[in-house]
Amino acid sequence: MATTIESASGITGAAVETRAAASPAWLAERRRAAWEAFTALPMPDHMHDEDWRRTDISKLNLADFSVEPPPGDAVAGDALIDVMRTLRAEAAPDSAFLAITRRGLRACDEMDMLTAQGVIVSTLEEAAIQHPELVQRAFAAVRVGESKLLAMWDALWRTGVFVYVPRSVDARVPVWAAYSVAGDNAAIFPATLAVLDDNASLTLVDSYASPAGDAPLLSSAAALFVLGDDARLDYHNVQQWGAGAWHFATHRAILGRNARLRVFGAALGSRLQKVYWDALLDGDGGEALLTGVCFGDESQHMDLQSLQRHRGQSTHSDLLHKVAVRDRAVSVYSGLIDVEKQAQHTDGYVQNRNLMLGGTAKASGIPRLEIKANDVRCSHGVTAGHIDDDMRFYLESRGVRRDDADRLIVRGFMQDALDRTPHPGVRELVARLLDEEIHGRSQAGVEAPEGGEL
Amino acid sequence: MAVEAHELTKDYKYGFHDVDISVFRTEKGLSPEVVAAISAHKNEPEWMLKFRLKALAHFEKRAMPTWGADLSGIDFNNIYYYVKPMEEQAGRDWDDVPDSIKETFDKLGIPQAERKFLAGVSAQYDSEVVYHSIRADLEKLGVIFGDCDTGLRDHSEIFRKYFGTVIPPNDNKFAALNSAVWSGGSFVYVPKGVRVDIPLQAYFRINSDNMGQFERTLIIAEEGSYVHYIEGCTAPTYSSDSLHSAVVEIIAHKDAHVRYTTIQNWSNNVYNLVTKRAIAYEGATVEWIDGNLGSKVTMKYPAIYLMGERAHGEVLSAAFAGEGQHQDAGAKCVHVAPHTTSNIVSRSISKDGGRTSYRGHIKVYPKAHDVKVNVRCDALLLDEASQSDTYPYSDIENPDVSFGHEATVSKIGEDQIFYLTSRGIPEAEATALIVNGFFEPFVKELPMEYAVELNRLLAVQMEGSVG
Repeated sequence: MATTIESASGITGAAVETRAAASPAWLAERRRAAWEAFTALPMPDHMHDEDWRRTDISKLNLADFSVEPPPGDAVAGDALIDVMRTLRAEAAPDSAFLAITRRGLRACDEMDMLTAQGVIVSTLEEAAIQHPELVQRAFAAVRVGESKLLAMWDALWRTGVFVYVPRSVDARVPVWAAYSVAGDNAAIFPATLAVLDDNASLTLVDSYASPAGDAPLLSSAAALFVLGDDARLDYHNVQQWGAGAWHFATHRAILGRNARLRVFGAALGSRLQKVYWDALLDGDGGEALLTGVCFGDESQHMDLQSLQRHRGQSTHSDLLHKVAVRDRAVSVYSGLIDVEKQAQHTDGYVQNRNLMLGGTAKASGIPRLEIKANDVRCSHGVTAGHIDDDMRFYLESRGVRRDDADRLIVRGFMQDALDRTPHPGVRELVARLLDEEIHGRSQAGVEAPEGGEL
Repeated sequence: MAVEAHELTKDYKYGFHDVDISVFRTEKGLSPEVVAAISAHKNEPEWMLKFRLKALAHFEKRAMPTWGADLSGIDFNNIYYYVKPMEEQAGRDWDDVPDSIKETFDKLGIPQAERKFLAGVSAQYDSEVVYHSIRADLEKLGVIFGDCDTGLRDHSEIFRKYFGTVIPPNDNKFAALNSAVWSGGSFVYVPKGVRVDIPLQAYFRINSDNMGQFERTLIIAEEGSYVHYIEGCTAPTYSSDSLHSAVVEIIAHKDAHVRYTTIQNWSNNVYNLVTKRAIAYEGATVEWIDGNLGSKVTMKYPAIYLMGERAHGEVLSAAFAGEGQHQDAGAKCVHVAPHTTSNIVSRSISKDGGRTSYRGHIKVYPKAHDVKVNVRCDALLLDEASQSDTYPYSDIENPDVSFGHEATVSKIGEDQIFYLTSRGIPEAEATALIVNGFFEPFVKELPMEYAVELNRLLAVQMEGSVG
């Protein structure tokens, strides 16, 4: 009789046990509970789950992926980390930099400025040991087992980044968390958690990347934030996985009274992404400004689902999601503005604008409203259109070459979203990356510098 | 007058009902025997019996839809699926209609409406059309306007060619139910090139306690023809829930133009679950003008499939949900062919704990280039207890499209009220004015007497909404 030995390098209970063994008791328990929920829950199914109806992941086989790096040279992936460092240097050279791969924390630079202010920046693993109460506050944003893929993340995340900003402290420099992975069939679980005490402020960047190419990759990410009263968080997410990546993420923030959240997400890479943005406006007077830009080409499938949940009074939320698709790419946007009964004086807004650049590109938009309070103003708009021939003609007649004309028009289309990027350096970086996408010069994922290899 | 109107809101305006005079009805509940009994009673051909039984099997197989309104209050076993009124199929002369039925219509204002400008009236009393007239000149043009049972009997060739082709029995659970037990409803056939200048009207009415009404309407407009069909509904109030589940199919051939106007004002215990769908071929135009005021729960999403180039679809929807009501209404436009256009405008108001939901779907298939779509939904919430939802779906599979969807939900603007009251208009009247203005895009598309009636109904509904 053959016995199957569960490999600790796959997405398996044995891998969870390896993680649990390195975790404090409360976290080990959470991991095991999450794993139990994961095994009990069915995979999301586009035939039966409304949220997944337009996003088919039946070809995803979790058993293909490995959470452990292949044995061998400990410096493998250094070139990739250099690329990550370059991105950070281009956008926010003053930022505290943490680079994470499957091997763990690979770089940790420029922390002094923040630690001098009393800001805690460390890996999530370390913070779970050193500051369990703070870390638990952030984890409370997710109920263990609320969905299959989030439960997978909950059970298996590793390393991670944790930031705590004490009361009334304005973190002087941004925190830049770079998650990268190379190699075939890798699974990575980015985890960025932050707690901002009352009146604290922080700028945070998550940068995800893998080398250009079709190497199969699984990314299951979460970014969880708890904002105290009057706290202000600017969160940026730049997704540049390679064209073989399955990317699943939940970015969620809970806002206290008069807290302000600004989210900017750039979805450029991956084969398929399903990303959730949840802004939970629990305290009165909270404000959430959510901005996304997405460029899909080849056969990319880009799914963003948002929730703006208004629970406090006089809260404000505004989401703008700009999408350009071409070739065989598909964009799916669905969102819900949920206004609870007591949430009077809510102002909620959603815009989803799709620019269809030809081919057989597709775009779906499902902006939903559920309004149970009456003294509110909620609205949404969805559009889909193509490049206006008149615009193109106008530019071409003035001697602008056709691809330059298209680039200008697409940039013009994206510009109002870019203008909402809280951090100017990230704005410039994403603008450059978009230009390269539009020109077709860049594939999904990142390229090695001249002559190098990733 | 205002006091009188206020009184009316306490009881359903048309909440009278006559002593039950029906002569044949099936037993309560649903079974192949009940379906066979209906078919036998109507002397239907074999193919229709088979169609019904197959539909029944679909109905039994399908799960209850759970994605929309709460339907848990429906007890399928406690419903009469077929009730035949006392007289045999009535003649065309108004004098032949039984007095008791006339009285009912009198209360609804039908004869007046007819005297004004009806061409033909096809008034449904319970499950069967009992009164029905067609102006002679329409007949001469070859227009058929009758009930579906007659259509099946006297025009079987056309009827069979189209029946169930737009909405097959397995489309959804309630279309299956209707297909199994349907009776009554209108059959309209407009020959090539014929313009029917005056609207064709039918009045539907539920009367028996616990009686479902499952009418079936089939409209065929041949090439280059025009027809406007008007359906208005009103039902007496009863203590136990009633079910209304209709199916309406429209086929608009090349360059035809069909307009379908509904004002639904069922009493507040009726589940109104209706499937309406039209096919528009090359150059054809289909318009659904759809007003939902009554019922306990309405789920209705008039659809237009734009199958031919340059076809155009238009849906104008208005909903009003008061206490205990959920109006889950919307529209669906499916662009299959290039150069097709559609426009959807929805207005809804929730009051006294009522709930309105807009649910819509826009689909543009890969081959449908040069498509233009516009969707506009607005909702007003008049008090804290009420709720409004918007569930718009759009799937655009051709890049060469211009699609726009916009929706807003808000309360009545304080500055609007302030503006009007500062000019000496009492607040209640100001609110009613704003509501009337809000529904204006819908009301202005109605024939005059319907517009007047709707405005009157709105005024009644709005009484006591301030203070």
